[in-house]
Formats: sequence, C-alpha cells, structure tokens
Amino acid sequence: MAKRFLFFLLFVVVVLCGSINRAPAQETETETKIRVEVDMVQLNVAVMDRKGNYVTGLRPSDFVVTEDGIAQKVATFGEGNEATRRVTSNGPDREHPGDRMRLQHGSADSDTSSELGSELGSMMAGANVFILFDTSNYMYRGFVFAQDAIAEFVRSLDGPDRVAFYSYSRDLSRGATLTADRSQVLHGVRTTVAGDDAALYNALLMTVRDAGQNTGRKVIVVFSNGPDNASMVPPEDVAELAQSKGIPIYMISTREAKLEPVSSTVFKRMSAATGGEAYFAKTWKQQQKAFASIRNDLAHLYSLSYYPQANPNRGWRSITVKLVGDRAKGCRVRTRNGYRPQSTRVSAETVTPASGVDSAQGPPSSN
Amino acid sequence: MVTLAGPEGVIRVSSCDQAGPLLNILGYRLREGCGKDAALETADPESAFLTIDSGFPLAELEQTLQGGHPFACHFAPTPVPLLFSPDDWTHAGTKGSQNKGNDVLDSLLDDPALARLYWAMARMDTETSASLRQFAGIPRLLPFAPVLDFYGSHISIRNGRMVVPGGAAAESAWKALAEADPESPKEFVARLLAKDDGWLAAYFDTLSRLTPAQQVYFTEAHRLPRFYEALRGKDIGDGPARPVFRPDPDLLLLVTRLELDSSGQPMVPGNLEVWEQILRQKSDSKVVRQWAKRANHWKNPDQLVEALFAFSRQSTEDGPLQIYLMLSAIDGARPPERRLSPQTVRLLAQKFARFGNQYLTFSEFEALNDDSITRFLEVAEVIDRISNVTLRANALGIFQANVGLWQVLARQGQIPAAKVNTSWQAVIGPFAAGSPSSAQLFDSAQASVGELWRAAAGRPNLSQDEVVALLAGPSQSNPDGQRVRQELADRIRSVMDGQRLVSLDTLLALGDGLNELAQGKDVGNTLISLAGQLKEFEMPRPMFTSSERSEWAAGFYNTRHSSLQTRTDLAKIIKSPRSKKELVEARGLVVPFLRDTLVGLNYAYYEPPGAQILLNNPLFVRSHDFSGEMAMGGGQSWHVPHVFGSGLPAGGGAHLAGSLADLPFVLAEAEQDFIVPENVQALIWHELVPGLVSSATLPRWWGVTRNELHAVTLYQRTGEELLTAAAQDEKLRQTVLDILSERMAPQRSEQVGKALRAGAVQEALSRALPGETFYLAAEFRQRFPGQDGHWGKAGEELDALSKEYPAEVSWKRLSDDFGVPHPALAQSYSRELLKVKPFPAFMGYSSRLLAESWDSNNLYWARLADELGYSPAMLNRLVPELTYHMVEKIFATDFEDWPAMLRAMRETGDEFRSGKITTVPKVAVTTSVQ
Repeated sequence: MAKRFLFFLLFVVVVLCGSINRAPAQETETETKIRVEVDMVQLNVAVMDRKGNYVTGLRPSDFVVTEDGIAQKVATFGEGNEATRRVTSNGPDREHPGDRMRLQHGSADSDTSSELGSELGSMMAGANVFILFDTSNYMYRGFVFAQDAIAEFVRSLDGPDRVAFYSYSRDLSRGATLTADRSQVLHGVRTTVAGDDAALYNALLMTVRDAGQNTGRKVIVVFSNGPDNASMVPPEDVAELAQSKGIPIYMISTREAKLEPVSSTVFKRMSAATGGEAYFAKTWKQQQKAFASIRNDLAHLYSLSYYPQANPNRGWRSITVKLVGDRAKGCRVRTRNGYRPQSTRVSAETVTPASGVDSAQGPPSSN
Repeated sequence: MVTLAGPEGVIRVSSCDQAGPLLNILGYRLREGCGKDAALETADPESAFLTIDSGFPLAELEQTLQGGHPFACHFAPTPVPLLFSPDDWTHAGTKGSQNKGNDVLDSLLDDPALARLYWAMARMDTETSASLRQFAGIPRLLPFAPVLDFYGSHISIRNGRMVVPGGAAAESAWKALAEADPESPKEFVARLLAKDDGWLAAYFDTLSRLTPAQQVYFTEAHRLPRFYEALRGKDIGDGPARPVFRPDPDLLLLVTRLELDSSGQPMVPGNLEVWEQILRQKSDSKVVRQWAKRANHWKNPDQLVEALFAFSRQSTEDGPLQIYLMLSAIDGARPPERRLSPQTVRLLAQKFARFGNQYLTFSEFEALNDDSITRFLEVAEVIDRISNVTLRANALGIFQANVGLWQVLARQGQIPAAKVNTSWQAVIGPFAAGSPSSAQLFDSAQASVGELWRAAAGRPNLSQDEVVALLAGPSQSNPDGQRVRQELADRIRSVMDGQRLVSLDTLLALGDGLNELAQGKDVGNTLISLAGQLKEFEMPRPMFTSSERSEWAAGFYNTRHSSLQTRTDLAKIIKSPRSKKELVEARGLVVPFLRDTLVGLNYAYYEPPGAQILLNNPLFVRSHDFSGEMAMGGGQSWHVPHVFGSGLPAGGGAHLAGSLADLPFVLAEAEQDFIVPENVQALIWHELVPGLVSSATLPRWWGVTRNELHAVTLYQRTGEELLTAAAQDEKLRQTVLDILSERMAPQRSEQVGKALRAGAVQEALSRALPGETFYLAAEFRQRFPGQDGHWGKAGEELDALSKEYPAEVSWKRLSDDFGVPHPALAQSYSRELLKVKPFPAFMGYSSRLLAESWDSNNLYWARLADELGYSPAMLNRLVPELTYHMVEKIFATDFEDWPAMLRAMRETGDEFRSGKITTVPKVAVTTSVQ
C-alpha cells in the first residue's frame, strides 16, 4: 500500500575522540532522531499455472505492475522465504544475496543506511503470520479438533516465519503476540476456551491493525465457523484496511458455505480482494489440507514493492499485476486489487493504548 | 486424576512413555509417537473439551512429550471458606433428601434456589447470617432466597438487635410497620421477608442504603408507613424479587436524590399546583390517574413524595417520577433566587416525553435561565415541524451538533459564565425561523457556528484548525499543558480524518463563494477547486450487491445520506449555472457535508480510548440516523441514541440512531468491544464499561491546580491515617466505622472493623476504596473540626494546605473537578462526588448505576499523578488511558462485582508506578506544591 510511512529511526551517533579511540559511550553518545518518509507499496503475488501449480523462478522483469493504469517500477523483489532484494536496472543483485534492500530516502549517512537496510532486509525474510481463531459459541462443536488443526499448522510453519496467535468471540484475545518461539504460540492455542458472541470483523480489524505495525511480509489466517453476530464494523472496512496495509487474508471456514451464505460470500470476496484465499473445510482433513495450502502459498509468494509514480488520486487506487514473456502464458496472478491511501495521521498514530504488539518488533513497515 | 496426583496432589510425567494413562483421561493421544516431533491430537472430544475448558496445561505436557522438562501439575483440592457447616447445605435443598449424601458443591449445583440462598447469605455480615441460620435454619429460609438475594445485604443484626434505617429513633415506626419488634430480630426478619411478597424488604433495603441524615426524613413515624403504603399500593402484584433482575431503580433513585430545603421539606420544582397539573396530563397508567384525583387536595410536599413512591413501581421512561427526578436535578442545581418558574416546570413536563433526554444540558448548566430553556423548546419544535424528512434530519443534526459544541466550550470555561445565556440563545436562535429550504438551513448553521465561535473566541470566523484547538482546551502557558492540548487536538483531527469529513473551512468558504458568485463576483475557479473536495469522499468498496444487501440486511443498510454526498456535483453547477437562484440554492447541497463535519467534531471530542470504529468506519458519523426512523419504534430524534445494526455483516456497520444526548456514554458503548481483556473471556458488562469510560472521557482537567491535585492525595492519605490510628483507638474506631458505614454495606463494614480490631491495618486499608478514604477524611474533618490528633503527616499537610487555600481544598471544588458525571443516577453530566454506596444491578440498567456510583477512579488516578510528579494537565491524557488499562484488567464474576473493579484499578496503578504502561510519557514534570 502506499501508505505514507514514517520511520522514526533512533540511532546513536558515536562521537569519535581523535582518529582511533572511541570515547566511553555514556559520555559521548547523543541521541539523534532521523525521520525517513517512505512511500512504498508492497505486494504479495502468487503465480500459478493452468494446473494450479506455483510458478517459481520468475524475475522482476517478468512482472508488469500498474497503478491506476500508470506503469510502476519494481523497487524490491523476493520469492518465497528468501530475503527481499533491491532491484537495480539490471534486476535483483543475485550475485550478492547479502546485499538487501536499502532505504532509498532520508538523511542517514551511507554506513548507517547500510546497517539499517541490512536489518530491515533480514526482517523481510519469512513472513509474519497472524492466526485468528474463532472461539465463539458457533465453534463449540469441533472446537478441540480445530485447536489440533491450528496447532499442527503452527508446528508446520518452518523457516524464519514469526507467528502471532489471536482468538476472538465477542472480544479479541491476544494469546501470543508475534514471536518466533512456536511453544509460546502453541501455549496460546491450547489455552483458548469456547463461548460468547462472535465479532469476527471487529477482531479481524484489530488483527490487521496489529499486523500492520510490523515490518516485512505479513499474512493473516482466519479460522472461523463464519457467522458474525456482534461486530460493529462491516467487512468492507476490514478489507480496505488490509488492502491499505498490504496484508493478504486467508480464511478457513469450518462450515459448509451453503449454510451461511453471508459469511461465505465475505470470506471469498475479502480474501480475493486482499490477495489471500478462502477455504471451506468442514472436516478435519479438509482443514488440514487448507492449512497445508496456505503454508504452500506462503512459501511461494513473490514479494514486490514499488514507489508509486505521481498520481493525483487520493481515493481508491487500483493495482494490476501481469506477467510478460513466454512464461506468462496461461498463468494466473493473484494479489490485492488496490488500496486506498491513508492519511498520515490515521495511519501513523492510533496505536491503541495496548496494542498487544511487542514493542521490540521494530518500526512500522511500509507497504 | 486425583489418583494420578497421589497423596502429594501433583500429577507428574517425566517422560513420554509414562503419559498414556493421563492422556487417556484427558481425551488426547499421541499423533506420531514420542520424540521431538511428538504432538497431541484429540481422541475423545468430550474429554478433550473439558481438559481445555478447565485450563489444563496441555501445551506444557506436549513439551514434555517432546523430550522437554518433566511435567508437574498441581492437582490438589483447593480449600475454600464455607458458610456454616456442610450439613447446613447438603440437608436443606428443595429436593429434600436428594441432596443428602452429596457434597456441598453438588448440592448447590443441583439446586438453584439453594445456591441463590447461599449467595445471598454470603453477602451478609457474619453476625447477621449466623443469627438467621439460628433463628430459622436454612430450610425455612429457602423460600425467601430471592428476597434475600436482592434485598438482604443490608439486613444487619448487631448485638442481638435489628439495625433499622433511621436508627433507634425509628425503631417504633418500623415495629408498627413490620408488626414485629426490631429488638426481636427473629420475628422482625421473618416479617420483613414475608410481608407483601418482598415489598417491605425492598423498602427496608432501599432506605438502608441512604446516609443517616437522609434516613431521618423518610423514617419519621408519620411518613414511614404512608410512603410504604403508597409503594405497596392496593395491588401488591408480583413481588420485587420475582423477576430475574431487580425491578427499575426508580425507588432507590427517588430516595437517593430527593433534596430537602432548609426547613426539611422536599423540594418541589415549580409548586404543588403545577404537579397536580402534571399528574393530570394524559397518562396510560391507572395508578397515575388515581393519584391525579387526589392531587387537588395536596397541602404539602410529602403528599407529592407519597405519590412518587407509588409511581416508582411503574415501568416507564417518561412518567411523573422520571419528570420529577429530571426537574429536581435541574432545579436543585440552582440557587434559591433562580429556581425554575412554575410555567417553565409545566412546559418542561409537557415536553418531557419528546425532549426529556435533552434536559441533561439544563441540569449541567444551571446558569441557563427560564428564557433560554423555553427558547430551546420552541426551536426544537420548529425543527420538528420541518416536513421534508431529509431536511429535518440535517437540521436536527446541525442543531444538536452546535448545541453539543456549545456544551463543550461552556463546560471548559471558554464561554464565560456571564455569557452563558446570551451565547446559548445566539447559537440556537438562527434555527428559530425554521428552514424551508436547505439553503436557508445552511445560513442558519453558518450563523449559529459564527455565534458559537464568537462566544468562545471573540470572533465569528475560525478555521477548522482553530476550532479543533478550541475544543482541545483553553490555551496553556506551561509546556506540559501545551503538549497535552496539542495531543488532544491531534486526536480530534485523527477522527475527522478517519471519518474523511470535509473541512469546515471548505464548506463555509463554498457557502460564501456561492453567494458571491450569485452576486456576479469572479470566484468561480476558486470554488471549483473547493467543490472538488466534496467529491473526494468515496464510499467503501462494496462487498455485497444491492440484492444481497436487501436479502441479508433488509431495513438495516441505509446509506442514503452518504450516497447523496457522493452524487453531489457542485462543480458542475458552478461551471454552468442555469440561474442566479440556482447558485444561491446550491448552498443547500453543502448542508449534508456541514452536518457531518459538525457532528463529527462532537464524536471526535468524546472519542473513547482505544476507539476503532471512529478511525476505520468512514460511514459511522455519516450514518447517524437523526430521523430515528430506522431504529425500531421510530420517533427517536431527540432521545438518547441507540447503537443500531451491530452483528450484521451486510448492514454496513453499526451506527447511532437518535439524538446526540448522552453521546459520551453511547460512543463508549459502541467502542467497548475493541478493548482487549487480559483474561480470556473476562466478564466486562456492557453497561459498566461505557460508564467507566465516559467518566474518564467527558471530564477535562484544565482548571485543576497543583494544590487541588495534591489535596486529593492528602485526603486519601489522611483517610488511611485515620484508619491506621483507629486500629489502636477503640473510640476512634467506632467513629471511623460509623462514617465508613455510610459508604459500605454491613458486611464490608464488619470486615474492616474486625481487621482494625485485630491490628491488621493493611487488610483494613485493602478493603477501603479510594473514594471511601477520601470521604472518611473529608467527613471526619467536617464533623470533628480541631480533632487533628488522629492523623499523621498527610493530615497535617492537608490542614496547612486547607488553611492557605481553603477554596481549592474544599469538598465542593474537589467534587466539581474530580467527581464523575451521573446522567443516569443524578440526571446530570455535572461532575460530582456523590455520597452513595455502590449501586446494585437493576433491570434495564444492569451495571450502569454501579459505574456511576463508582467515583474512586478519578481520585485514584489523580493521586498517582500527584505522587509521580505529573502536572494536573496530564490528567487529560492519563485518566482515559489508565481507565482503558483498568477495563482491560477487570475480571468480574457478577453484575455487582465491584471488588473486581478495585483489583483492576490497583493493578493498573501498580503497573503505572513501575513503568509498565509505556504509552504514557515517563518524563514527569516535577513541581513543588505552591
């Protein structure tokens, strides 16, 4: 999304005494705030062939990205869990995989910029996976099986992914904030209890907001029976926020679609609008299959970003991603279909008094 | 599991291969055997559900199975204190012998009546509950379990005598009424519980909750039976303990809020003749009609009160009692020379059913005179007469929004007291002529806001940024205040941005420009640019088709107001107007936008902490249904709004339907489910949280001085010093307990007394609320001036501060600044520290009255701020945030679980002190008390 993004990078300028010796840090460190504004749109793109197999090995030049019909230049590129790389005119620097994305704007000196870029690049590797689990009255039946399925999903997420586990009924519960420690997440899963009304879209909104405060790729996986009888916000608001934050939403419904047409409609459309997928998995096996599909998707998503070309449109901006070249034939591309730029004030502030997000997770991301 | 736990009460699993028996019980099995990838899966769903629901540490067990640390789970029985002996409960149930042989828990679980009796008796003081058991025994008390549950907590037997409301002086009256002597508690309690199916018990309980001073009036020998007979009526109907919840709280509100004049007579707004006329107003109630016939013989106010007792059993929102409570709140706030005239009282009563919810403004701003009140009602009726529904809704929205902004600016002191009436009339005046067209409504709105800004800032033209700055608070001279004011302004702007509302500057400039254009001035290009801003708002990307909305949210999805805005093309008219008249009338197209911006400023001002709808649903303000026609029942235009349309995914999101009255509470109600409780599925009751939150968001603290802030601390500390001293001094102890019993139910009063007698000062302090220690110090100082030997440094410092700054340290000043608003309890948004005990839950109110009777938060937050060196201005930020954190921590078990609130408040305070609440600036400004 093209959210205007404020990085408040706090770092220490070490004043050197003479040319060799560093003065004691406590005496010489001064704090300097450097504000770097980044307007960057990040896309998670799945590419599949006619048979539904993931197409791998594509290069930045294989993609054509337009925003409101205006061609965009891909700034960073990555595939699956590999680190995102800066795209030069010659394509991503494959000869130097360690040379990760660098911040292009701001007034940081080059050395500092390199360090920051390296740090940010490492954070871009892997995904931040937010799981949202329905623990409302609608989930009594099959509740323990659902827990098993989620636990299995968490265990199967390998690599550098970080996971947060939330559950909801009338209220949201942050069972485990974003962490690489799977045992913390499993503890969160196994301590959920069932009961109360269902406010799925309230909870999903909060989850999107939390996820949006993190750097790197992030996805939300919703495991829900579907019905919502208590939300104050409509699904449209959630979808727009997720689109603005560049967060695909994967939705697994444990109920047959025909039983709850409202929810099944939302699940399909919200996931499609954000670049995720919807699954209708009534049985335990179908649920496991859905989780496996999501896992597979995460491992094969291309991560592209661009800095939008001048565009006077302050409202909804549509995004299209197409493939060019021989490999494009018959391929299907899935990503979010647009975003609405948010005002700086709304996007940058509004951290709720207790967002539940670990403050050590770094600055908010640009998308 | 007990067997597995063995005599030491610990279930141990040291390795995976030992886990089989335990897993079998738990309903789980190993999916792929032992080893580092060992994982559990459900084998028996029912057992597994119980395992999870009971909080069994399954994840830890799973880690052991993967080769982690040995698993150990304490599974020993937890002793809990039991009321009386097990036999009392296992042999007493309605199921008779069926309970025999069960343990106590089984007996209570099997028999709801028995459980209710246990619950009721567990809330009595020990002497009373033991006496009841001795008098009657559990089986004979069982039929009265509902009465004891609702009305038993204030039954108190001390030293073998009933403690009755009014004390010893009232014993004979109670004896006559109950037909049993309070000296014989056994008979008295039996009569109390049984008489009139619980009505006497309800009466007794209600009067018991009053302060001794209040009780004197009601328990006079000639009044006690009269008022009771009125309450009881000719037809006792269903007893008050028969419903699931206590009936309407009107009886308790009446006796709590009844004000007496200097001669000890009840205050009567207007006069008795007016009330006779009020009772003669058309009423569906037979009881009201009957009392109306008697009213022409009324000679004194007691007779009116007697009728009000009778009306307290009527379940209505706009009966004579509700009118009396509201008008008393308005009149009681006024000095004797400015009481409401009989004509105004009559008028207010006549219009109460339609406009009564708006009267909260009159009770809050006592300076508004009869003329101002009358003008308001006249204008409101003019607006009501607008026949065009859309135009009327816009007029309602703009008018109420401007009145709401006037309230804010008057409350913050930015509209000087001397200008209250003139500014009020100037703001509402432009609407008095009616609005035959939208263009004229635009003119009225513009004139009205101009008068508003003039009253608050001295000039009629303010930019939106200036308006926001004005709403954020008065100008501040110190950096702390300036920073906080800026933060509040930014929050208002965030909401306006989140709602994507068009700037006031643009809208008013468009109106002016269109006029100029109509007069032939060349401003077209500028206007086209401004008009373009109206087009920037886009509806959210639809997720449903129209037919889907019709099918899945019929009657709920109505975005007519917003959709009209998206279709408004002012630029087209500006570019090629067909006539001068069209240009003039084009101002009307701006009206819907203007309404939303003005309403949005009201919403933004009262933004609850942690709000999400306000920031993420751009239709929330636009969807406010001022016509009230979408809400069930209709006719809500002037009533407190309802949250409408939640839980309907195809409905476009919830919105408010009704007026802007009680907006702080209703917004908090809408946003409360975005607060994330720390405990899984913590019980946060819907009426409690909005009450707490609105008590934190409505008050502003710009006028609070450091001396005041410090005095709040000193009052609480002095109260603690008095409690501490009372542990060693029997005479003082009795005095302290007498004062505290005015705020505590008998059980807690007894607990505090026992702790003090045992020298357990910390325990006694832990049971006292900040509001109670504050009250104790204030009352003690007032009742026993000069007796300063019982307190320590804090009391001495308070004395010194009080001598030097008597006004700032006075109860009145601190009550005005640190009290909470009581729109439901006292029909006013004025801040006040009420001398009441925590209110119980009532039907229709749930825990709202409890929240309003809870005044400890702001006192406690103020003390924290003072002790940590924050400036008073920081309260504007601290109070909402700390209240938010407190709500996250509330883990209540029942509707009246105020101890859960106390725990949550103290935990929040501890975290704040230790720096764990990081959203609040750590750098405090340390300034010594001047």
